[in-house]
Amino acid sequence: MALGSTPVREYAEPATVWLSRARARTALVVVAVVAFYVVSWHLAKVDLGRLATGLPKMASWARKAWPPATDELPVLLLRAAETVAMAAIGTTAAALLALPVCVLAARNVTPSMTLYYPTRWFLNALRGIDSFVFALLFVAAVGLGPFAGVLGIALHTWGSTAKLWAEAIENVPPGALEAAAATGASRVKVLAFALVPDVAPAMVSVALFWWEFNVRASTVLGVVGAGGIGQELKNSMDLLLFPRLLTIILIILAMVTMIDYGSEWLRRRLE
Amino acid sequence: MNSRGHPAGPAPLVRVDAVTKTYPAGVRALSGVSFAVEPGEFVVLLGPSGAGKTTLFRCLTGLTRPDSGSVEIHGRDICRLGSRDLRSARREVAMIFQQFNLIRRLTASQNVLAGRLAVLPTWRVLARSFARDDRQMALRCLDTVGLLDKAYTRADQLSGGQQQRVAIARALAQEATVVLADEPVASLDPESAATVLDTLRSVAARGVAVIASLHQVGLATDYADRIIALRDGRLLEDAPRGAFDARALEQIYERSDARAVEAAGG
Repeated sequence: MALGSTPVREYAEPATVWLSRARARTALVVVAVVAFYVVSWHLAKVDLGRLATGLPKMASWARKAWPPATDELPVLLLRAAETVAMAAIGTTAAALLALPVCVLAARNVTPSMTLYYPTRWFLNALRGIDSFVFALLFVAAVGLGPFAGVLGIALHTWGSTAKLWAEAIENVPPGALEAAAATGASRVKVLAFALVPDVAPAMVSVALFWWEFNVRASTVLGVVGAGGIGQELKNSMDLLLFPRLLTIILIILAMVTMIDYGSEWLRRRLE
Repeated sequence: MNSRGHPAGPAPLVRVDAVTKTYPAGVRALSGVSFAVEPGEFVVLLGPSGAGKTTLFRCLTGLTRPDSGSVEIHGRDICRLGSRDLRSARREVAMIFQQFNLIRRLTASQNVLAGRLAVLPTWRVLARSFARDDRQMALRCLDTVGLLDKAYTRADQLSGGQQQRVAIARALAQEATVVLADEPVASLDPESAATVLDTLRSVAARGVAVIASLHQVGLATDYADRIIALRDGRLLEDAPRGAFDARALEQIYERSDARAVEAAGG
């Protein structure tokens, strides 16, 4: 029997209230969002007029920058390599530090909740402070140069990596861990055997992402004197050497693009 | 009787004695449940959802401590063991789960090796490099459940029935004398379910005490040596397969289902 041929029946529906709580709440949210943007616009001192007068200045710089300077290419490439190396060493150190900590910070495998909370707070503190800020402090402590950058990257990335790893661990279905524990095996064995194969690809993917991110971030670290190509960028800007500036920007673009593609290719291969 | 050389004397392998468990919310999950299982027996635990089957399994593995009564495995009361002794007692007991619980990215034979985790040296587990004897044993266990040809296939590439048989092979590799299977065929199609239950029967035939919980009365009467029926936390019946009145049991099921529908306000 077709549905349409069944006897017609009226179904009760909830009554529609025009001035409901939900509608009032929606209106309130809209007002709050609008107010937020109005205040932000003023605080950020957005001034389109100044942009209009500034743009021609930039255009004249761009004209002066062509052709890019090639005389210092070997030095600049070395600086670029320095940036990649800083990111690699910093990220690797962060990963090694994050390895034991992420187990403490994952709710499902942490040995005790009294360790879980302090670990989470510690990681959030590391994450909250940008590698740029860390680098600023380390330049003062260990002097100018890429090592300060490495330390800055390592500390910030430690917090970020450990947190993302802990989340990857928390997303592992509990069944396999339970089954391994049910054989009477110790905790270390259970984690090494049943957890690692499940999370390892996600963990490597996260680490690659942070390396890629840190290559981009460490171009800026040079500005605070923490080595790498960023330092050359700042020098050129200070001395208004526009052809040199253009060369540096092109090198950064090429470097970041290559690393993005390489890292993406690697991450795809992990699945 | 069994392959590990434990005396098959008067003491049964598993003895559950007057086990009572009430959860904090006041729900009485088990009340005064007693039974014993001998080596080589295939016992099926029947009962509708909420009958107390899961609580009983948790008591058998020491995951839940009963309020009173005792659960003895090889004469050791696992309700009174410290965590270290409990871990060693668990080696005797292998678990089979409804959702198979294999390590998805590892091969079938590596998953079978997981059954040997407790006895493998830690460095071998960390390096994931296993001695030839252990590897051979894993293959032997897979051969026993009829999956030798899938030894190097990743667990997540296997069908549900195959995954459950790998889980059984894992229990064999553990050299457990007791196998507990909580709803082992609830997620499987009828054909795979039959294969898995056949495999469990053959495990019991090797002298292992197998306790499996099932929903379907038909499967229980087809495969079990003995059927234990639970309802509302009480042991309703404990009888050999032949002496079991399937019709009466089905009525119990239907009645309790009808009650559940009523309770849900249907």
